[in-house]
Amino acid sequence: MKKGYFSLFLLTFTALVVLGVLSCKKTEIVETTTSDVNIVGYLDKQPDSFSLFRQILDRTETSSFLNAYGAYTCFAPTNSGVRKYLTLIGASSVEAADLNTLKDMVRLHLLEDTIYTGSFTDGKLPVITMYGQYLVTSVENAGGSSTYVVNRQAAVTKSNVKTGNGIIHVIDNVLLPATKTIAQQLADKPEYSIFVQALQATGFYTRLNTVSSNPADRWLTVFAESNQALADSGITSYTQLRAKYSQTGNPLNSNDSLNMYVAYHISGGLKFLGDIIGTATHETLLPQEVVSIKLIDQDVVINQDVFNGVLEIGVTIDRAKSDRAATNGVFHDAKAHFMVKYRKPTALFWDVSSFEEIMKLPAYYKRANYDFNRPTEASQPIKDSYWGWGPLAGTNTLSYIYSTTSSIANFAYNNDVNMLPMGLPNRPVWWEMKTPPIIKGRYKVWVCYRAQKQSSSSNMLCQVEVNGTLMQRTMNFTENRPTGTDAELEAIGWKRYTENTTNVFASRQVGVIDFTTTKQQTIRITPLVGTQNNNNLDMIHFIPVDENQVLPRFRPDGTKIFL
Amino acid sequence: MKKYPIYLFAAALLFSSAGCKKWLDLKPQDGIIKEEFWKTKEQVSAAVIGIYSSMTENASGTYGRTNYIPSLAELLFVYGESRADNLAPGTFASIDDIDLVNVNIQPTNVNANWRPFYRTINFCNTVIKKAPEVLANDNTFTKTQLDNYLSEALTVRALMYFYLVRTFGDVPLKLNPTLSDTEITPIPKTGKDSILLQIVADLQEAETKAVSAYGDPASDKGRVTRYTINAIQADVYLWMDRYADCISACDKIINSQKFGLIRGATLNGPFVEYNDNWFNTLYYTGNSNEGIFELQFDAQRLNPYYPMFSSSIPSRRWIMASDIIDRVFTLDLTNNLNYDIRADGASVRAATTTIWKYVGANSTSLRAIDQSYAHWFFYRYADILMLKAEALNETGQGQAALDLVYTIRRRANALAATDLAPAPTDKNLIQEFILQERSREFAFEGKRWFDVLRNAKRNNYQRLSLLLNMVAISVPSNMQQSAQAKMQDKNAHYLPIYIYELQTNKLLVQNPFYR
Repeated sequence: MKKGYFSLFLLTFTALVVLGVLSCKKTEIVETTTSDVNIVGYLDKQPDSFSLFRQILDRTETSSFLNAYGAYTCFAPTNSGVRKYLTLIGASSVEAADLNTLKDMVRLHLLEDTIYTGSFTDGKLPVITMYGQYLVTSVENAGGSSTYVVNRQAAVTKSNVKTGNGIIHVIDNVLLPATKTIAQQLADKPEYSIFVQALQATGFYTRLNTVSSNPADRWLTVFAESNQALADSGITSYTQLRAKYSQTGNPLNSNDSLNMYVAYHISGGLKFLGDIIGTATHETLLPQEVVSIKLIDQDVVINQDVFNGVLEIGVTIDRAKSDRAATNGVFHDAKAHFMVKYRKPTALFWDVSSFEEIMKLPAYYKRANYDFNRPTEASQPIKDSYWGWGPLAGTNTLSYIYSTTSSIANFAYNNDVNMLPMGLPNRPVWWEMKTPPIIKGRYKVWVCYRAQKQSSSSNMLCQVEVNGTLMQRTMNFTENRPTGTDAELEAIGWKRYTENTTNVFASRQVGVIDFTTTKQQTIRITPLVGTQNNNNLDMIHFIPVDENQVLPRFRPDGTKIFL
Repeated sequence: MKKYPIYLFAAALLFSSAGCKKWLDLKPQDGIIKEEFWKTKEQVSAAVIGIYSSMTENASGTYGRTNYIPSLAELLFVYGESRADNLAPGTFASIDDIDLVNVNIQPTNVNANWRPFYRTINFCNTVIKKAPEVLANDNTFTKTQLDNYLSEALTVRALMYFYLVRTFGDVPLKLNPTLSDTEITPIPKTGKDSILLQIVADLQEAETKAVSAYGDPASDKGRVTRYTINAIQADVYLWMDRYADCISACDKIINSQKFGLIRGATLNGPFVEYNDNWFNTLYYTGNSNEGIFELQFDAQRLNPYYPMFSSSIPSRRWIMASDIIDRVFTLDLTNNLNYDIRADGASVRAATTTIWKYVGANSTSLRAIDQSYAHWFFYRYADILMLKAEALNETGQGQAALDLVYTIRRRANALAATDLAPAPTDKNLIQEFILQERSREFAFEGKRWFDVLRNAKRNNYQRLSLLLNMVAISVPSNMQQSAQAKMQDKNAHYLPIYIYELQTNKLLVQNPFYR
């Protein structure tokens, strides 16, 4: 027994010793989830490049939040860039520089989101800086190598550095905030002296010289005309410009043409060229007047449009002299003189079934029927025609119907119509189309269709909205044209629009609309009662109220007749 | 009785020791290891066929995610077309695909993953290293047979490097196999000129060892023959601006009299007669008299193109550029019986904006998904004629070049609107004409980007404008200027090295434009 105790003691002793030895080894427990450094940590790792920027962060007390949780984008200037900047602001060192200037500078380099170079476009970044000005990006080629350039001031030398709380783009120069307004910047450039004089005379100079605190009207975009552009149109001085336009003698009057000329060159919002070309028209400060924008090859062109089949050549923007950012917006340089055009309202006889997408299909356009499907809600097979995505994909089909012989299209204009099923519960619940540009004015709207009933009991009563305004009358795709003389019919809102006299080809005047702006208008047909497939739309007429509403009529071969 | 247990024990011991013979043997029992492979000529043959099979492998991972590794066959398409002007991303294209189109490529773009190429290269390297050892083991394996197999491995390897060098510029040059994990070592990049010289040397060696035919169409078009090598040589020499070498390589194929153009359209008086079987013979069935080297997809190994292109798949990745009919093929609006046979219903189907070559069954209906085995065309005879024409033009033989171009145009009934009608002395216009004709003839065959880049970089990037004009067409308007400025940097013409490769191979340096 004694021996047993001893061995037990020995065992316990050994165990304790072993335990003791083990407990002396400190286990390292990893408490962090990642070893990634934060933005400040990254800068600290490379003092050779960023020690000065790091000092600025400390002095402006921004380093602590850049070292905390978040999602930032930091444009980090290198030491050489910061030195150039310090010389520029006349400070011998970071400590000597004005604190508020430094704070503004740091804010301009920070974005409260992670923006990779993949989001860089030809325009502004999608997120505003903490300073409150947008940064503009571009790519420039120097000596055969291309780099991203920010604000035309600094090149990105290393991009998309991922850190724990955001990303860093290393830049070679400090970004300088715009400190002048559009008006001041234009005034500083002698090449815009005539335009600036016009701004001053019309009172818009003050508007362009203020930075509104209200974000809704803070930003403005100006299409400036240089003296050269004006001289090309024979205007060599402000006096000449004034003589040409100012018919009231008081440019401050908003009815004065010089006032209108200037207002037509200013658009609300901050629109760099990369942003401008995304939208076809932009409203100007001249009420209800727009400038249209097209990208032709590489040129941004203002007001190049086709009206009634005539191409009007537009004015090109000089890219190199454009995208000039200011505290309250941006200005661009128009290469030539342009002025708002006053056009007389002109009738539009719109053949809805000759649209771009079908014309690209030579095997079908004016040859055979073709179906445009919307298999998913996201798909939009026709750019300017769009319809509600009903619950049944099978009826989500706009059909291009062409025939010279079938009774559906035999007398239709160009022998073709568009057919779209409509109506609850199983068919699309609206049909929306964008018209070709229509000049502003007051028009009567005529919907021209080939009446058809899918079955004898079918009904298809619809309301029509133009630019969201409900038209006074309804129309019905199953209703034939009543009998009567042209005058009798017009009096009750009907007309015969085809050369053929069959009463299934009917045109219904749904109402009168005032277009306040010359642009592509929107028309929407919404079914009210009934549902069927055979809604055959042939044309829509927009005819100025003071013009003949009945003539011309239209032939299947695409010509017009006036009797 | 008492001794029984001992006997029993002895017997058990004997039994167990006999049964456990493989206790200490670590070889897998359900597979084969390299020490036991490489013994017979059948095994060499299997390894060589494995090289071709590796080129038809499927993608892995989920499309649109970062774990996606594209297949070789789709990368051949993506590298050759995505940055060019004939296609557009579909509604459900991934960000990575869209970024390629927008010239907005990051090292994280999965399309920059060259793994499928190096995988095939490793198979080639293995054959080149191990096949000669079989000579000692298998007496029925002859030196000629060995040479034939080596020519196949050398050629495929050269072809893979040719794609890599055109896509990435400088790439790691690996000429020995990685047979086990212990052999994985980091290797640095080799300059593109050295890679091209290696390709030329490999092809020259392969040419002396290759067969001219195997005897069955699938092998003649699907495996490397002497003409495959000549075709690659012609392409490589043209890329290197060695025009005389290119012409002589083309002549070897032309003079063999073994290939021809499949009849497309013929002019009969004022009327054009179309061969209704042209699409079926050349593209649907494949392995036609025109084919030189095609990836042999079949019912057992479908190609990856159906989900990429088919209009029956809502989530298709690529569609045709909307203006391709007007810009590239044009239409005769006055006579609908006069059309370019390569346009609607062959290269594309305009009605559904579909890239049609790989998914069409005939001019109007789609293949069924289980019929999606259109071949990938590395080279066909028309390519040889056009390569020769380009080389002839560069050496000042404009008329001879034009003759070849018009041969191609007549076969397809190219429309008059696309005939630039250059004078035989107008070298620049002929160059432009050839480039445009190649865009029509080889639409979506993975050639366009390389064609444009080859012409752009000639004479020290004399025609860089070709690339600038191309991105002006394909890049969205709000990025157009950036894309053009990027294209002015010639390093931007090559893709970045994929981030995973940089992390695992520390000797790699990112391509200059993407640092």
